[in-house]
Amino acid sequence: MSQRTYAERDAVDFVIVGSGAAGGVLAKELSTAGFDVVVLEQGPWQTPAQFAHDELAVERQGVTLNTAVEPVQTFRTSAEDRAEVRPTNTPDFRGLLYRRGVGGSSVHFTANYWRFRPIDFNERSVYGAIAGSGFADWPLTYEELEPYYTKVDREIGVSGAPGPFDPPRSHPYPMPPLPVKSSGVLLERAAAALGLHAQPAPMAIASRPYDGRPACMACGRCMYYGCEFGAKSSTLVTTIPRAQATGRCEVRTDATATRVETDARGRATGVLYRDRDGREGHRAARAVILAANGAETARLLLLSTSPRFPYGLANSSGKVGRYLMFNGGSATGGRFEHPLNEYKGHVVSRIIHDFYDADPKRGFYGGGGIDARLNSGPLGFALTGLPDDAPSWGRGYGRAVHDYYAHTVRFAGHTTSLPVETNSVSLDPEHVDAWGRPALRLTYLDHPDDMKTKQWFQDRTHELMEAAGAAHVWREPVRAATGGVHLLGTARMGNDPRESVVDRFHRAHDVPNLFVCDGSSLVTSGRGQPTMTIQALAFRAAEHIARFARAHEI
Amino acid sequence: MPPFPWTVSHASLPRRDFLADAGRALAAGWLATELPWLATLAGCARTGAEPALTVLSAAEGRTLWAVADRILPADGELPGAVEVGAVDFVDRALGTPYFAPSLPVVRAGLAALEARGFATLDEARQIAELRRIDRTPFFAAVRALVVSGVFADPSYGGNRGGGGWRIAGMTHAPSYHAPFGWYDAPNATERAA
Repeated sequence: MSQRTYAERDAVDFVIVGSGAAGGVLAKELSTAGFDVVVLEQGPWQTPAQFAHDELAVERQGVTLNTAVEPVQTFRTSAEDRAEVRPTNTPDFRGLLYRRGVGGSSVHFTANYWRFRPIDFNERSVYGAIAGSGFADWPLTYEELEPYYTKVDREIGVSGAPGPFDPPRSHPYPMPPLPVKSSGVLLERAAAALGLHAQPAPMAIASRPYDGRPACMACGRCMYYGCEFGAKSSTLVTTIPRAQATGRCEVRTDATATRVETDARGRATGVLYRDRDGREGHRAARAVILAANGAETARLLLLSTSPRFPYGLANSSGKVGRYLMFNGGSATGGRFEHPLNEYKGHVVSRIIHDFYDADPKRGFYGGGGIDARLNSGPLGFALTGLPDDAPSWGRGYGRAVHDYYAHTVRFAGHTTSLPVETNSVSLDPEHVDAWGRPALRLTYLDHPDDMKTKQWFQDRTHELMEAAGAAHVWREPVRAATGGVHLLGTARMGNDPRESVVDRFHRAHDVPNLFVCDGSSLVTSGRGQPTMTIQALAFRAAEHIARFARAHEI
Repeated sequence: MPPFPWTVSHASLPRRDFLADAGRALAAGWLATELPWLATLAGCARTGAEPALTVLSAAEGRTLWAVADRILPADGELPGAVEVGAVDFVDRALGTPYFAPSLPVVRAGLAALEARGFATLDEARQIAELRRIDRTPFFAAVRALVVSGVFADPSYGGNRGGGGWRIAGMTHAPSYHAPFGWYDAPNATERAA
């Protein structure tokens, strides 16, 4: 699609950094509201026709992530340690994972679209303080966000059906659920046996032709892959084309933001960026919106120092980059007598939300949801998916892959992460990337309650797998998190400028014309599927930002 | 669930508890009927003629062939790594940016095996040799390469004739439709009714 372009000298209303789950929504909402918008996207513009079913390239080599500029990341578990560089381009890499490219990580996500529930927004008040964490209430409620969840349902395109524990919804799902898979039937069977409740998984995938896009073709390549049919509701095929169609939105690709510029009054004036060849550009704008994800947004703020903002932009609280949350997880594998063929179709068709809420009787804080999935192609499964008592090479190895791959599913728990102040993204003092920017330094150690929650959920998935009638059941190792694809909490919302980075409308406490809206805004982690909430926040933020702009309050 | 959805979990190092029983029926009929070129390659190896390699030397290729045949041997109707072209895949892959960093460790490991006459040992002794080293970086690298050569898309030179997908017990198609498996078949039937 052709799009309007803006010359460097053209003043625009908004520059948005990032075209992913949040940036794509903000671009569409603000351009359709009549504002001139330029989006800076560090990666390329790939179309669905360029996505392919190539497990080696996608699942093993991570080509969908578009790491053309070699990212440099370092890791440590404690602020007392020196962080070590981790090679990012290997399948074993478990650091900060996100896609560079139009649509961002909404291109390769699995498309689980769980709404948060009312409890997610005020758990601190309900359960009290938790030692070793910055557990806090949100500055808004589920009721305030509900209309925007409905917008996500309709404008992004979510399929599903109500479940017994769902939060109140003002409108039904716009599409029925996707077909149940064998894994979903087995999860239903297990739930019924244990007195639990399995329900259709809400997915941002078209279950019937929707909004000019085709229904899911059940090709089996959702997680890690871009959808070549356009059935997965990424912003690449939903909001961004609509933003372009307004004639008031330019998505500038291969444009890596390096700094937010400010003037002597402390107002943002635009964003410096580098193009593919390293040439510097400057995008002036009346207001700046950061939607670059919980890692990149925090780094950009920390990089944008000035005499007025010596610790980074919008960082008078010192909270930028802190309270990073990934969501936890644990799983139990099971082999069944008959084929499930989990490699076909969408990843998840049934979920269990009986354990969503935390329960003080467990002795620790934590809650989550459970789903059934395999999410591995045959190559990845052959390399690392077999249970420990199956051969990993030699006679019997090929037979084991044959006997297990189409017959195996995992029941997985998706769990809370507590906001711990020392868990953070910061600027590495020693290593730089190809643009000379300090490497992303990740400091992370699970809160003890997060580890207990993962363990507790593995006990539940183990029980469910037994109840489902698996012929062979095995528990996967419960790991400490060393990274993730959910990059949450690093510029948290709040009413108190000493304790948060942005206010309840995503405006930076310190900079009146700077807004931050992406995973970094989240105050708590939810239960493992944050994109629905990130986008509801983006729809809500856009409405308020447009209101402020019209009232000359930016 | 990440790193959770991104991790398939389980230790990536191979284990020693494979079945070590000796003797294996070479799937000669399968080779002859379905992959005649590979029968030729196998014949070459047995007679000492050299397969066409681009990165590895002929001697390295012979040793790799024997190692691949031990890592994922044919089993009844299921082809093995060499039958589906994994050797060819590995040779080509080692010349690509992603796998090239493994080349030195693969080369050194193959040379060490070659020095012990690995390719000419009988199966039981080959197995014993590999058990000795199956926790080394060399073995991890060569296993990842060989297994990739079995299951990666055939456009990379392995997984010939979709043999890897037959090993995995899957049908490979650009898209599918419900019912997907045995357990959801009744649901699909109910919907159709």
